[in-house]
Amino acid sequence: MTSKERVLNALNMNPVDRTPVANPTSVATVELMDLVDAPFPAACRDPELVARLAATEYTELGFDCVTPYFSIIQESSALGCDIQWEDKDNWPTVRMNNPIWKSSSDVKVPSDFLEHRDIKAITESIRILRQELGNDVAIIGKTMGPWTLAYHVFGVESFLLGTVDDPNETMKCLEKLTEISILMGQAQIDAGADALTFPDHATGDLVSGEYYKRFLQDIHSQMVDEIPSPLILHICGKTIDRMPYIAQTGMAAFHFDSKNDPQEAMEAVNGGIGLVGNINNPETLYARGPDEVRSEVYKCLEAGVQMIAPECAIPLVTKIENLMEIPAAVKDWTAERSP
Amino acid sequence: MPVVNEELEAELAFVTNPQEEQHIRSLWDTAGPLMQQISISLIKGKNKEVYQLTEQALEDGFSANTILDDGLIAGMAIVGVKFRDNIIFVPEVLVAARAMKAGMEHIEPILSASGVEPKGKVIMGTVKGDLHDIGKNLCIMMLRGSGFDVVDLGVDTSSDEFIEAVEENGASILGMSALLTTTMPNMGKTIEAFEEVEMREFVKIMVGGAPLTQEFSDDMGADGYGKDAISCVDLAKSFITESQAS
Repeated sequence: MTSKERVLNALNMNPVDRTPVANPTSVATVELMDLVDAPFPAACRDPELVARLAATEYTELGFDCVTPYFSIIQESSALGCDIQWEDKDNWPTVRMNNPIWKSSSDVKVPSDFLEHRDIKAITESIRILRQELGNDVAIIGKTMGPWTLAYHVFGVESFLLGTVDDPNETMKCLEKLTEISILMGQAQIDAGADALTFPDHATGDLVSGEYYKRFLQDIHSQMVDEIPSPLILHICGKTIDRMPYIAQTGMAAFHFDSKNDPQEAMEAVNGGIGLVGNINNPETLYARGPDEVRSEVYKCLEAGVQMIAPECAIPLVTKIENLMEIPAAVKDWTAERSP
Repeated sequence: MPVVNEELEAELAFVTNPQEEQHIRSLWDTAGPLMQQISISLIKGKNKEVYQLTEQALEDGFSANTILDDGLIAGMAIVGVKFRDNIIFVPEVLVAARAMKAGMEHIEPILSASGVEPKGKVIMGTVKGDLHDIGKNLCIMMLRGSGFDVVDLGVDTSSDEFIEAVEENGASILGMSALLTTTMPNMGKTIEAFEEVEMREFVKIMVGGAPLTQEFSDDMGADGYGKDAISCVDLAKSFITESQAS
């Protein structure tokens, strides 16, 4: 089975020869940047460098996919948000204290949105990756969800206050921002992506599970109808309480955080959606070694998680040996259980 | 006075730990119906009501300190418990904090003019290279809601800026926040910077943020790790108690 077949089979809940390994968010590290001379922030903005760095997920780490959209800010940059691009060893971030919009009536997609350099960095890199890596590896694109976009364009506190002050206006904002999610997602599929990660940060650390149901569940189901490709929803933090709702959206998989026990997560989704995850980033991948990584991989496999991955975009100074341990552990675990 | 406001009594039902319930209930021991109304209006996030009731209370002769302690801080105590226990989430805390701020518009000028000392003075900031602030801001809301005077340095704050702020404000507590593993190390650098300028012994330093752990906090020499906004307040209170005891 090729890596691509393995990933797509897992996302479609079909049999696989072994559990695939991926990171639907990002495995960019400073070590990998140095290895292929593709440093941030250029490797977020130049399609050649994006592709070069993304390819290392497959060629160096042995994962089953490549994920060229490392950050979460490409759309927000194209919309006109103020971005702090930082250096090689830090993430580019939206200056959310300087929001560009105040209400739903401000939400407008620029007519040349898809031509913006930070959008083309992704779509062109997908074309490059498909050409260079062929059809053996899955290319997973990424399109930011409306909740996350709302944080970026309205500011976090302003947006969250609005959910209490004027829920109808909040829904209008989310519906209009969903158009951007659909546009960005479709562009990547047209470029050759096999699946899309869909980060939409309605995390349990900030809002309730009922908020997810009220504001996002239907929008997420709409995304499934609009996007002709498997979607992997990603929400950080505590999410067990909303997993039953997420499982009803029709999404292919849910990429979940280490704050949720994998066994509990499997019970919460009850077969309604695949699970991707959930190796701890700061305490394991960043701070520990291969033995601890292996132990967490085994725990996820024993729970039956459909795709093994770090819980989120990995810390930029994570050691390559820790990342390489993930597919090694999966292969060993599978071999130990093969007849 | 016992709690006479029915809505407030219903809110106390959310405080399930008996000792905690007793302590919070005692915050209204000397609070009449008007103070209790201020508390419940704050809990419900009714900022215009809190503004008007605070104004009325001052006109009725209540002292600014009484309104602060028996009305506003008492109300925030329940907000803090409900937030810690996941009964309410960040949007509800934001509206309660907005209501507290509405009341403080009347109270703050009076307290400043009278030279009344706050519980303690805290400098808060997100570290260099990090622009995330919702966690820090929640801590600040809960600290102010507990009677601390907080200077907010915002985001992307350098070690020098932290040092300058502590010195200029005579603060005894510094709180640093980081959401990224890439920026966490700047907390350790800031602590070292305080040592280099021989200010370390004069300030208690607490840290918090999603990627942080107690272990990381201990390794870099922080005095405390707050896993959430309520822990941050508890830490700040413990630092004050410690310094008063010594």
